[in-house]
Amino acid sequence: MPDQTQRPVLTTGIYYQDPLAALDWLEKAFGFERVMVITDQDGKLAHSEMRFGDGLIYVGSPWSEAIASPRSIGGKCTQTVHIQLKGGIDGHCARAREAGAEIMQEPEDQFYGDRTYRARDPEGHVWTFGQTVRAVTREEAEKVSGLKIEGWV
Amino acid sequence: MTSSVLVSLRVAGTAERAFAVFTEEIGRWWQPNILFQFTSRAPGVLAFEARLGGAFLETFPDGQVFEIGRITAWEPGVRLAFTWRQASFAPGQKTDVEVRFEPVGTETRVTVEHRSWESIPQDHVARHRFPDAIFLQRHGEWWQALLRAYRMQILGEDEP
Repeated sequence: MPDQTQRPVLTTGIYYQDPLAALDWLEKAFGFERVMVITDQDGKLAHSEMRFGDGLIYVGSPWSEAIASPRSIGGKCTQTVHIQLKGGIDGHCARAREAGAEIMQEPEDQFYGDRTYRARDPEGHVWTFGQTVRAVTREEAEKVSGLKIEGWV
Repeated sequence: MTSSVLVSLRVAGTAERAFAVFTEEIGRWWQPNILFQFTSRAPGVLAFEARLGGAFLETFPDGQVFEIGRITAWEPGVRLAFTWRQASFAPGQKTDVEVRFEPVGTETRVTVEHRSWESIPQDHVARHRFPDAIFLQRHGEWWQALLRAYRMQILGEDEP
């Protein structure tokens, strides 16, 4: 069991126009779990943290003009989050679709040995889920993709 | 509107056991915090009277007792709720704590939600002059520390 009280080295903050709705949706669609949610006396979300396995995200409202939900800027994202599953990726995708995720890419096997799918959430954030389904050598991956690959273990 | 501090984590074992350790062994896992003490005295030992309507008590070394609150929901393995007041609260001022226990595979997800801090005025001594959101954040971090100790209590007893 991962230690859910320690913060990982890297955590990303994801911003929504309606972060309270996002907490519900991320739990229903992806199975993320709230580990800390602070709601102030005006009923506004002050801070929240969700966990999935040993991963952690913050979910909140934009706190500066430099921060926005994709919904506020024509659906553009400047970063995406990748989640590596241990198993059950097709079922995970079905659950996300059922909850209203737009499946941008159906689960499919990639040349590097992972099976992945991409989903867009109701405010336009893009999430990629992957699961390793077979071992691939660097030589095989280079041959299939035509890429020169460095750092392959 | 009502403010809320929600903290959740998973612990090993069944919901029944998680409920039992939360209620019966609170005197062993509770971690007093100077910002959130119930009275101005050195911290005592906490205990629940195990029934709906029972008291949530802090007992001091000299035998004196402070009643923190009363149990408003007692559903072993499912839900516990109790009221929470500090000695500095005026009559009628109180906050509410609800603890939910949900089985997840071989683990139990334990969620604490502490509400009604909006009933305590912004200038109240219990808030230590922190802006509301900062105070609630500190409170949440303390609840996280408490649940960490609670989880260790469960794990410790699981070891042979």
